[in-house]
Amino acid sequence: MTAPLLLTESFAERGARERARALLDPQSFRELIGPFERIASPYLAAQGVVPQSDDGTVVARGTIAGVRACVVATDGRFLGGSIGEIGGAKIAGALELARRDAQRGAPTRLVLALDTGGIRLQEANLGILAVSEICDAIVALRELMPVIAVIAGRVGVYGGLSLSTALCSEIIVSEGARVGLNGPDVVETESGIEEMDSSDRPLIWGVTGGRLRFRQGFASELVSDDVPAIRAAVERAFQAPNELGPLVAQAFPDPRLERDDFLRAMEIEL
Amino acid sequence: MSASVRGRAWFERLTGTARPVGGLPPSVLAADTTVDGHAVRAVAVVPDRSARFARARNGEMGIDEGFGVAAAVNGTPAGSAILAIVDVPGQAFGIREEAVGLQRALAASTQAYIRARRGGHPVLTLVVGKAISGAFLAHGLQGGWIGALDDAEIEIHVMSEAAVARVTRMERDDLARVAREIPATARDIRTFATFGAVDRIFAVSDPDAPSDADVAEVTRAFAEVLRTPELARRNPIERLDAPGALHTRALARRVRDELQAQWDV
Repeated sequence: MTAPLLLTESFAERGARERARALLDPQSFRELIGPFERIASPYLAAQGVVPQSDDGTVVARGTIAGVRACVVATDGRFLGGSIGEIGGAKIAGALELARRDAQRGAPTRLVLALDTGGIRLQEANLGILAVSEICDAIVALRELMPVIAVIAGRVGVYGGLSLSTALCSEIIVSEGARVGLNGPDVVETESGIEEMDSSDRPLIWGVTGGRLRFRQGFASELVSDDVPAIRAAVERAFQAPNELGPLVAQAFPDPRLERDDFLRAMEIEL
Repeated sequence: MSASVRGRAWFERLTGTARPVGGLPPSVLAADTTVDGHAVRAVAVVPDRSARFARARNGEMGIDEGFGVAAAVNGTPAGSAILAIVDVPGQAFGIREEAVGLQRALAASTQAYIRARRGGHPVLTLVVGKAISGAFLAHGLQGGWIGALDDAEIEIHVMSEAAVARVTRMERDDLARVAREIPATARDIRTFATFGAVDRIFAVSDPDAPSDADVAEVTRAFAEVLRTPELARRNPIERLDAPGALHTRALARRVRDELQAQWDV
């Protein structure tokens, strides 16, 4: 036997379509509202942005471990994976159809493979409405079956979608991904560079990185950036659910502490 | 930023002498009152100058506010409606909050409102001031019925103009022009209402210090809704069928239809 040429197959280096394909059983991938249907955002050109024919969100049907499934994946390389009218409707619509299937006794396993900075600023009002629908649909589907989030891209998940992700049954997170509400740019703009320096990568990963989120119990599994490892985690999540705890406050240091003392007290390395 | 007085003013006028719900942080107000004989738990987030998180002192939704609103909503007595009074300038922009996990705190209150509504509590929302971003998602936007004051101070958006300019690398002047041309980027309540999520807009004499007539008009509207409580139990998806949304959200409707048509082979 020859040694494999590559030790790992990166998930983060793939686009949304290839991530969806990677999570579904081989040859089972079927895209819905594919790029050739050209349902693209009509709001971007006037704001100096070239639209993308899938709007940066891919919905794919297929199977996971032989069971009917749907993966929704966002493309962190297109406008930061932001969610506007079309992408938002794709996510909310897939969640609602999965709920309909579960009610009919023919469940569809639903996976959200998100890589997104949040609501798309160029379509903000439509994005925030879509995210409110997504949150509602996640909570409704969870009454019937698990909803699994995979956060293993270059962006991670920020903004309204991080709130939605926290509503999922399980979150599978990679070390390279980040999970936070406000992006570092936004914290720096709103509160100053002494609050958060958006160029300080170790600090950003320290306070929002996958490793911290797993240690806090906010993610059910910490995976390496490796397709087989992530696939195995997704299969495990459906076969042996390990639901995240309830959304209640956990102990944290006194917020009046100086910033660095507070972070050290949380055992975050500076 | 000067802290807004509106949330507290409307909360106090609408709940009167009702006893406050205990065990909440000072920035989360809740009280059980009645409207036209219907039990209503009112919930508001207000500024607290001495809040322990420095970035959540102007009425922002932070760690304590997210979990506090969740506790207030989860504790709603059986049979009571919920009224979210909204004047939230945004979520807390702090590194301590990010480290602790602000997304979970805001998810907690979002989930509380969703479960309450889906569990049969009518959930009404009254937007009296700013309703921005994650803060609005977590406090107000899950209401089954949404009313708002007709006032230029009301701002609904996902990010401040300064931060939008930074993230999109657009000039402030260009952003203002775009907001006029593309309603999806506007920040005013009248434009937001065209997307079908706002059921009623109230013209009031003084949004900062509501008059007796202002309070009476709003209360009358609540009473009307509570007589047909299913109006305040509508799930967000139903907003897509609002008359305005047929045009303003036509693309979202088309995507839903296409997904359904292609879902099964």
